[in-house]
Amino acid sequence: MTAAVSSSKRRSRLPKFGLALPSFVWYTMFFVVPIAIVVVYSFAAKDSTKLIPVDLSDPSLQNYRDVLDPDGVFFTTFKATIRIALIATTLCVLIGFPVAYFVAFKVREKWRATLLALIVVPSFTSFLIRTVAWRIPLAPNGTLSGWLQDWGITDGPLQILETQTAVQLAIVYNYLGFMILPLFVALDRIDAGMREASKDLGAGRLATFFGVTLPLSAPGIAAGALLTYIPMCGDYVTATVLGGAKGNMIGAMVASQFTSARNWPLGSAMAVLMIIAVLLTLLVGVIVVWLVPRVVRMVSPHLAPVRARIYQRGLSAKATKSTGRRRPEVLKVVLAVWAILVLLFMFIPIGLVILHSFNSGGSFSIWAGGVSTEWWGALFRAEDTIAMLVRFAVIGVAGVVIPKVIHRATGRPSARAQRWIGLAAFVTAFVVNGIITDWYRTIFRDVNIGDAMRNSFTAAFGATVIAVIIGSLSGVALARRPGKWTVVFMALVFLILVTPEIMDAISLATWMEQLGGPFKNNIGPINFGLIRLWVGQSLYASAVVTLIVRARLAGLDESLEEAAGDLGATPATAFRQVTLPLIAPAVIAGALLSFTLCLDNTVISTLISAGGVSTFPVALLSATRSTIKPFWGVGSVVLFMVTMAALGFVAAVLRRSGDSSSQIAATMTGS
Amino acid sequence: MTNRPEPLRILAPTSFRQALSRRSFLQLGGAAAGVAFLAACGSSESDDSSGSESTTAGTSGATSGSTAGGASVLGNYSNVINQSSGTLSMYTWGDYNDPEIVGALAEAALGVSMKVDYYGSNQDLITKLSAANGSSGFDIVVPTGPYVPMMIELGLLQKFDKTLLPNIVNVDPLYLGQAWDPANEYSVCKDWGSTGYMWNKAVLGRDITSWADFIATTQNEASGQTSVLDSPNNVTGMYFWANGIDWTTEKTEDLDACEKFLVDEFAQNIKAFDSYPSTKIAEGAYTSSMIWNGDARQAFVRIEEAGGDPTEWAWALGSPTTELWMDNYAIATGSPNPEAAHAWINWVLTPEISIKDLNYHGYHSGMKDIDKLLAELVPDLVNGNMIFFADDEVATMRTGAVNTAEDRIVDIMNKVKAKAGG
Repeated sequence: MTAAVSSSKRRSRLPKFGLALPSFVWYTMFFVVPIAIVVVYSFAAKDSTKLIPVDLSDPSLQNYRDVLDPDGVFFTTFKATIRIALIATTLCVLIGFPVAYFVAFKVREKWRATLLALIVVPSFTSFLIRTVAWRIPLAPNGTLSGWLQDWGITDGPLQILETQTAVQLAIVYNYLGFMILPLFVALDRIDAGMREASKDLGAGRLATFFGVTLPLSAPGIAAGALLTYIPMCGDYVTATVLGGAKGNMIGAMVASQFTSARNWPLGSAMAVLMIIAVLLTLLVGVIVVWLVPRVVRMVSPHLAPVRARIYQRGLSAKATKSTGRRRPEVLKVVLAVWAILVLLFMFIPIGLVILHSFNSGGSFSIWAGGVSTEWWGALFRAEDTIAMLVRFAVIGVAGVVIPKVIHRATGRPSARAQRWIGLAAFVTAFVVNGIITDWYRTIFRDVNIGDAMRNSFTAAFGATVIAVIIGSLSGVALARRPGKWTVVFMALVFLILVTPEIMDAISLATWMEQLGGPFKNNIGPINFGLIRLWVGQSLYASAVVTLIVRARLAGLDESLEEAAGDLGATPATAFRQVTLPLIAPAVIAGALLSFTLCLDNTVISTLISAGGVSTFPVALLSATRSTIKPFWGVGSVVLFMVTMAALGFVAAVLRRSGDSSSQIAATMTGS
Repeated sequence: MTNRPEPLRILAPTSFRQALSRRSFLQLGGAAAGVAFLAACGSSESDDSSGSESTTAGTSGATSGSTAGGASVLGNYSNVINQSSGTLSMYTWGDYNDPEIVGALAEAALGVSMKVDYYGSNQDLITKLSAANGSSGFDIVVPTGPYVPMMIELGLLQKFDKTLLPNIVNVDPLYLGQAWDPANEYSVCKDWGSTGYMWNKAVLGRDITSWADFIATTQNEASGQTSVLDSPNNVTGMYFWANGIDWTTEKTEDLDACEKFLVDEFAQNIKAFDSYPSTKIAEGAYTSSMIWNGDARQAFVRIEEAGGDPTEWAWALGSPTTELWMDNYAIATGSPNPEAAHAWINWVLTPEISIKDLNYHGYHSGMKDIDKLLAELVPDLVNGNMIFFADDEVATMRTGAVNTAEDRIVDIMNKVKAKAGG
């Protein structure tokens, strides 16, 4: 009793939202305030004589009128963007659902992890280079175009590039993975008993699907739609790379107001309207989701004959079960073929990136006919790179094999200790190589791209550290100290997740200029450009970590921490010894996800980056303005391999902590 | 034609054209001239070896790359190379320097490691620098001439320390002392060029002979297959050049007519706004393109690489009048490493580096006696007639201006882009 009292006393020292305070401050500083400034700018007029070309002396609604004029030039782009995003989201559901269904119900557990990994893997290649890679098969002078003409399917060269069709195709491609994963999680959670009960009650395959499976997967569809529709609305890269003049989208239009057009007030108004449009469509979506079951209930009496017929068919199918045995096989085969086709679709651009990194010509997208390692040599100094890899291999193998040999002989060290020794060997190899190669600088022949790649890692690492710290703390607070503040905080996190990245980018870019301090001056050896990237990339990433950690803790009993408190542990001790081990898998998954998100961050990084501290995607985006040399493909392949190595490492750690593939997928999608 | 308030506004009006006529033999192709010249002095130097030699060259007057016949012109140039250190960051136009000159060679010759970022228009550059107000982190920027005064006024450029740029004497005086910076206190010529169009003769079935023609084909045969430069002044310029209006016009009625035509009648025919269409031309994406001469020169190489037939394509300088632009090296305010910036700019003004760069990007780099230099260093220059223009061609070129119409022009482009998507 006394212990419980004292522990609750200790608790009360910190307000309920105490642990979320760092996030609150961070989000206010770098999200709420900058967005508010953009909203204010949207009422101003353009004044290009000023450094910040905004004149606030006579606020008006003129910018909004300009954008919303139905006959005006800007409104059409709005309509086109919403249409592209809606069609693409629908296509993602239609293409992704059979795949998720196949993985969840038709595949044995041991294959599931592999399939899920294959679906996720393409997302870990640079978003930008994957998009650029679509130029290869779609080019009017390309191979596909040639085949289509030879087979007489098309008369002239393929005319897809620089149209909305190209944007539509690539946007479905770019976001399909984000749809399949939550769909899988939702389907996987459906109690097998429910589906069996439905069948036992005589429902046929179709009736079970529409009566049980589909309604129960609704949360997955909703989550997937959210994860795809919102970023699509603000997509800036796809339209820029493939869209030409016709495939223009709001994201690119807003960005150009802040760069080439220097019309910040108009751009601000567009950005504000974009958020409103996104929220409105979401609202419509929510209403539809709310309405559908009610409509279904209303019309269900009228559907009774149909149901009866389906029921009859189910019965007759059951009656002829011995002959009808092959039907499920047919479905399985069809689904398998579909899944393979989708996977092929997802890997086509990646295969092309790898192939074209060996292009002998001078342009990434144009295959000059010969295979050559010329561009690998242009990016890397062969001798230094090979020496580095050898050192990695030697130290790594030594760290893994030697303890094992000793273990066999003497029974020591333990398996756990071996793992630590292996990790230590890896860290040693990393540091030793770092010292020898001037922190991996000397392995690059093209130091410009080399630095961009190194900056990518430094930036993503720093942003991930920030995201993990503040995200984990607020995730714990959300799960363990709910209160009125939770609503406000969740609204904030939700806003961060639904705000198209381009809006964050422009508001942060303007805000950092006004803040100055560490965003304009180096702090000791740390370049301010890096600080900008850390802050900018940490926003979205920390929101993701928050959700993942919260989801993990919400599924775990709080009694463990209470028991620790009852046994006299201070909150700090209880946190360290109980809570932290509990959330560790979620923190690792969150760190991993945010690291890969940051590594690939293009939009925010491009707009806030300072000279000399470009990351790889920023440099690549700027290179897309002219000829893209094949070494960008080389860089992408290497980044991809390093990311995959890191992923494999963490997957191994997660696997050891006993999570199944389904749990890992669930953790990754934050549900 | 009635609407030309001023006489030809061309860069360094008379002397420039005279000088060009002196070397007009180059229009026949630098190659032929170069071969003849080389045969005379019996040297077989490649640009590659001369590039590496410059890294070991000492101070002024050193005749690096001496030739057997002793006829090398390199000795006539200042060849000061100041060592420096640290990193140097440049913000420039896409693919605008030989990668070695902004990479390994700079590191070897100067001890400076370079980082390069790209922009697509002068407006992009100005936005980035002015938003950062002295903390952009960039050392060297490359604005087009008419934008220099505006950037000076906004405080975006810092003055050169001329004592650190002794090699400026290598620049032909023609390209120094331009109206936008009469004493070259802030800027020095990187290169200059012009604008024209490139089209697929096989597909179009006809030639493009003028800007009016380019507009007409864009509205008809090449509708939906044409790219224009992603640069506001070039797009409005096209209309003005086609209609005999001075492209620096500030008259409201001119700009109104331009907007009306471009937004209502032209925009929907545009396939893309593309400042560097060469790669996409080779991909087969465009039938005709508004294109800068250096990029057009690269396009022919790309077409061949893609397995296409370069002879199906043609390039011509815009007509009856067209653009004359000069891009300039300048140092951004708040440059983190101005010393290295000076050292690098000075190094690029040495003849061998300048010509090596020219051979890469395909624009006239403004070196004095450039014909002799080319003959010695790049005897096999390809498509030299796309780099060096005859005097009657230069006579049709007009320098742009940044004046009271600038905001309006940017605004028109904004609307053209939005309309083109609809």
